[in-house]
Amino acid sequence: MKKPREEGGINMTPMIDVVFQLIIFFVCTAALEQQAIDESIRLAMSPHGPAVEQKDPREVTVEVDAQGRISINRSYMNEVFLRNLLRNVVISHGQTTPVIIRAAGGAKHEDIRRVMDACAYAGLWKVSFAATKDKAK
Amino acid sequence: MATKRKRKRATVDAGELQMTAMIDVVFQLLIYFIVTIKPVDVVAHLDVFRPSPEKKQEQLQTPPKMIRIQIYPDGFTINDRAVGLKEMEVLLARLAGIDTKQTIMIMATALSRHEDLIRVLDLCAKSGLQNLSVVSTN
Repeated sequence: MKKPREEGGINMTPMIDVVFQLIIFFVCTAALEQQAIDESIRLAMSPHGPAVEQKDPREVTVEVDAQGRISINRSYMNEVFLRNLLRNVVISHGQTTPVIIRAAGGAKHEDIRRVMDACAYAGLWKVSFAATKDKAK
Repeated sequence: MATKRKRKRATVDAGELQMTAMIDVVFQLLIYFIVTIKPVDVVAHLDVFRPSPEKKQEQLQTPPKMIRIQIYPDGFTINDRAVGLKEMEVLLARLAGIDTKQTIMIMATALSRHEDLIRVLDLCAKSGLQNLSVVSTN
């Protein structure tokens, strides 16, 4: 009576192995995605701002740190390079490409201005500023 | 009887999963994730209007109807009147009560902090004002 039930059981070990492999794969790839932004930038607080709901895949995030250095994807660049880069963005994706300025709260406005001027020069007009809506505890 | 019991025990052991090792590994993973996880801040994007380069010249002469907010390194003004943050919040809420579509021109001086610009944009977002344009001044 008991014998057929024992033989019908599935061997779980290979399945668990595969599941762990999948978990590790996803954790590694998720961590890689986050490396693109500079974690050291402390954004200003904006508790009433609209939360980010959907992302445009074309969007360009320009970062400005408290010392006024401009970077995209953690590579620092000067103003001339930024202008040329944004021009190329316009050529490949059009003028409606959103630009997000992710600037440190302590940055001076003149450094933000350099980024905004580069956007105006390239013809990009969808500019928005990133701020922290809710701080994670 | 004794030999029969022994044989049965042996087959059960072979067919059952060894849970101890798996639980060890699962706990290791759990501890790893608890230690490494970092909560992510919720990010807001404050949209502003920027003039395109051709319109830059005509933007300089501001129409008198527009509401001008100026941001200095040490404070704010609305239409050339110095105000505090609280007062500005009240004024913007009142303006938004009349019309949320009117244009607010935010002029930030070069040495003002970006934080203050975000603060003003945040107050505008709170009141529901939508037409915000940011201009840099010296």
